[in-house]
Amino acid sequence: MKRVGRFRICLALASVMATLSGRGAVADDQPVRSAPRVVAPNSTERAFSRAWPGVVKLYGRGIGREHGYGTGILVSADGLIVTVLSLLSARDGARVVLPDGQTLTARFVRKDEYRQLALLQIDIEDSSYIELADSSKLALGDAVFAMGNWFKVAEGREPVSINRGIFSVRTKLDARRLTQDFAYEGDVLMFDAMTSNPGAPGGPLLDIDGNCVGIIGRIVEASATNTRINYAIPSEELRAFAFGAQATSAPAGEAEATVEKKEGYVGISISRLGFRHVAPYVSRVRAGSPAEKAGVLADDLILAVDDVTIRNAKDYRDAIRRLKPGDKSRFVLKRGARIVAVNIDVEEKP
Amino acid sequence: MTRLLMAGFLLLGAVAQVRADDASDPYALEAAKARVIRAAVTRVQSRIVTVETIGGAQPIAAGPEGVREEAFRLADGPTTGVIVSADGLILTSSINFARNPTVITVTLDDERRFVATLLGRDEIRRLALLRIEANGLSPAEWAPADEIHVGQYAIACGRGIPGDAPFASLGIVSAIGRRNGNAIQTDTKVSPINYGGPLIDIDGRVMGICVPMAGSGGALAGAEWYDSGIGFAICKEKYEFVSERLAAGEVIEQGKIGVALEEDESLIGDFLEQLLPTKEQAVRIREVMPGTPASAAGLRKGDRILAMDGQPVGDVPEMQRRLSDRAAGETITLTIKRRWRRFEVTLTLARTEDLGTIQAPESRPDEESSDDDDHTDPDAEAGEATSRPADE
Repeated sequence: MKRVGRFRICLALASVMATLSGRGAVADDQPVRSAPRVVAPNSTERAFSRAWPGVVKLYGRGIGREHGYGTGILVSADGLIVTVLSLLSARDGARVVLPDGQTLTARFVRKDEYRQLALLQIDIEDSSYIELADSSKLALGDAVFAMGNWFKVAEGREPVSINRGIFSVRTKLDARRLTQDFAYEGDVLMFDAMTSNPGAPGGPLLDIDGNCVGIIGRIVEASATNTRINYAIPSEELRAFAFGAQATSAPAGEAEATVEKKEGYVGISISRLGFRHVAPYVSRVRAGSPAEKAGVLADDLILAVDDVTIRNAKDYRDAIRRLKPGDKSRFVLKRGARIVAVNIDVEEKP
Repeated sequence: MTRLLMAGFLLLGAVAQVRADDASDPYALEAAKARVIRAAVTRVQSRIVTVETIGGAQPIAAGPEGVREEAFRLADGPTTGVIVSADGLILTSSINFARNPTVITVTLDDERRFVATLLGRDEIRRLALLRIEANGLSPAEWAPADEIHVGQYAIACGRGIPGDAPFASLGIVSAIGRRNGNAIQTDTKVSPINYGGPLIDIDGRVMGICVPMAGSGGALAGAEWYDSGIGFAICKEKYEFVSERLAAGEVIEQGKIGVALEEDESLIGDFLEQLLPTKEQAVRIREVMPGTPASAAGLRKGDRILAMDGQPVGDVPEMQRRLSDRAAGETITLTIKRRWRRFEVTLTLARTEDLGTIQAPESRPDEESSDDDDHTDPDAEAGEATSRPADE
């Protein structure tokens, strides 16, 4: 292989890439001045210089006697600020420190329990603000920047910090697997800059041009990993909340479903050897049931229902609850050492 | 750093040249860099798999305070593996199986899903080898060790977060030869999202397998360092070192000798010795546990260990570090100093669970004096009679 070396990317340009921000520590990703500066202002500097006039620090009510702190994004010239929903933002009176150090008191405008966002407003004319960009243009590997009041290290009039990372994937986080108060089930943007730190939620995720592609969400642990994850809620959700229809508590379709749904029936019993974490083995298939017609056998292990992974009996019950009579549901089963898929025609409960 | 101004990228034959005059445009470089990252991840994507487990329980750690769950709670979400042979061997991290799951499945990038068998585990390097009944797979291409350099770009890839593409974290190689030479250290975000996944270079070649490898102790040790900027990946040579044993179904775990060690701080009685200019660095045995390789080999309290496998041991942490890389079943040779005598003992390292049950062989422990002046064995052996097994 002779290609080694040809691929060296200019390290000088990457001097801000190696972020060493750990839990409990914050790395301020200011460009390293001692690195050879062979090009015009680098992209991180440009993103920062474009975005920082639109990022504010928030202070106010916290849990108990703690003082709360966070980050907000100015999204309009008349002083609208989007941030995450918290004790601090769900009421009038949050103290807003503008990028120039000016301190104002915010008025609470509205909140969105579903997206976990809050809209505040400050009395200001011709405010600087951040453009909301199109998050769908992000591709794996694209540089992204996160800005925020992490650990409130930006004291007094200082502007917030910036961290650099790369965007990976747009995905959905299974809300019921996250901390209980995280209801959001829409898309999230996943990236590798550290933002799962106090004070970071409410800050912007920026693209290479310094435009806002998302807002750093509340700190959550993904149950898929049991770790805090770094994610942002896409700018489209932000725009819909700040400038679109009034706040909703849940997506419309979701609400409907719970009202008029008839219970679906497939005819599978799961072995009940324990409680929640029992593996979802089929103990019995009812004669004449949709499952029997589809060829499900006792002792099959249910791996997935309609592309949702089933890890335990509880997952299975949740999945069954979503089925409606008339649905064609795809079950992935482990049978011995093979994996088989069957399509079950869901019927009405007899 | 000889190519500060120029960056040329060539990926899969497709040329994405950035000319020297483009270097003044940071955006051309940023775009090129993103393309390179994308191409590297795309290249490895078909060689990594999603590993899912069903059943099992949270591992239990036994510590001084008794039995408890580990501080880090393992989730039951998907994890990552790397295809290492066309006929179905999947290399991943042992942490992904710490729950002892009853069922393991592997889903390829083309969405074919298989039931997998856990062959072997290496708890020292935190690796695990799976087999699926498949053929014609594309195994990962490894980056040769001599092409891995501190400072070069590294991308950690994982399937722990569901999505169309793997989760990728960009960083650099922070160090090579870490953890007894087993691991590459990286500042990419290494976490349960990519444990078992590859750390790749910008050509999409695998430099190592991401594992938790900080600290010591239970099955989840090191996981609490996730996303800290200190991540580890086991390099190819170390996988190959154990690959046959893993394929044969072995569980490789750290070997124990069964002694408590202390620094060799000489007492008054050793005053004269200390004056000697040639005083050797050693660690002293504070206690020999019964039924261990150490007791079977006739080691005694107060013995000084000068060297392990011919290399001076230095101090206790150094001795422990070197032992931490040796597996149960392997033999080591210790150079022992007992009073003025010096001899070597060879012992077979034991698994933790076997400590207390090891018995001395029928024949006397093989102790050779390396000094010519004293070939008779230390009086130690007389005392050992009691711990020797009765005739079987």
